[in-house]
Amino acid sequence: MKMKASKPLPETIPTSSMADIAFLLIIFFMLTITIEVDKTQVVLPKTTLRMEIPKKAAYVSLDSAGQVKVSNGEEISASVPPAEVFAFAAGVVATDPGKEFVLKADAGVPYRQVDEVIDSLKRAKVRIIYLLSDQKTVDSAG
Amino acid sequence: MKLARDNKVDDEIPTSSMADIAFLLIIYFMVTTTFTATRGLDFALPEDDDTPPVVEKEESVLIEIQPGGNIVVDQKPMELSGVLDYLRPKLEVNPKKPVIIRPDPETAYENMIKVLDELRQAKDKGFAEEIRISIPTQREIESFWY
Repeated sequence: MKMKASKPLPETIPTSSMADIAFLLIIFFMLTITIEVDKTQVVLPKTTLRMEIPKKAAYVSLDSAGQVKVSNGEEISASVPPAEVFAFAAGVVATDPGKEFVLKADAGVPYRQVDEVIDSLKRAKVRIIYLLSDQKTVDSAG
Repeated sequence: MKLARDNKVDDEIPTSSMADIAFLLIIYFMVTTTFTATRGLDFALPEDDDTPPVVEKEESVLIEIQPGGNIVVDQKPMELSGVLDYLRPKLEVNPKKPVIIRPDPETAYENMIKVLDELRQAKDKGFAEEIRISIPTQREIESFWY
């Protein structure tokens, strides 16, 4: 019996699944992306212990110039005078009494300024604060 | 002259550029994603009320942080690495003994964080319980300190 000669293979690289893979990656990035509510540039202090900060926590940031910014965890942070941190925190706690607060302060600011912020949060009945820090490494320990 | 009719219409949706668009979007997400520090030391704030905290000075350990960052524990200058060794015998007798951190208003914030970080590691370093740490604010010190 005579066999038919096989047809020549197409010379193209199959790229039809590339778009599927790319869109899967896009979905992954869209789900994992977290919107940074506070973009204040500070040099964070370094600690060995670091706990995970809950998402949607309210932010109070204090930069090296002493400028205070606040965010309720959903809106982008805005500058406020230090005296208004209490009113801001009290408003947030009135809405959600268990709301966690993050204190993002520059490592070099005088403790007096941090003390004023912590005192405002205490008076506003905030229960727990997270002192934002970077990981302490062997190099930074020395 | 008779023109030949072109009856062949391409019945495929052109998808060749879809991958390009998708990869452009990926690059956009990769560039705009920032790796943010979302960890830190947690610190439970005591409830603020008008009644003074019932902490006798003699029953607690006082850690003072001087403006330059030097540490004085119960009036004795000390290195940060020696603080837990100093506290160990005291807390073995009374694990509930409060430890009060009192930073100087002019010291850098990181000096307070260093002490707090060290004390929070007590349980990892063989202490039976977490240390009861208190950081009174200047207002509380002026109101309640004696």
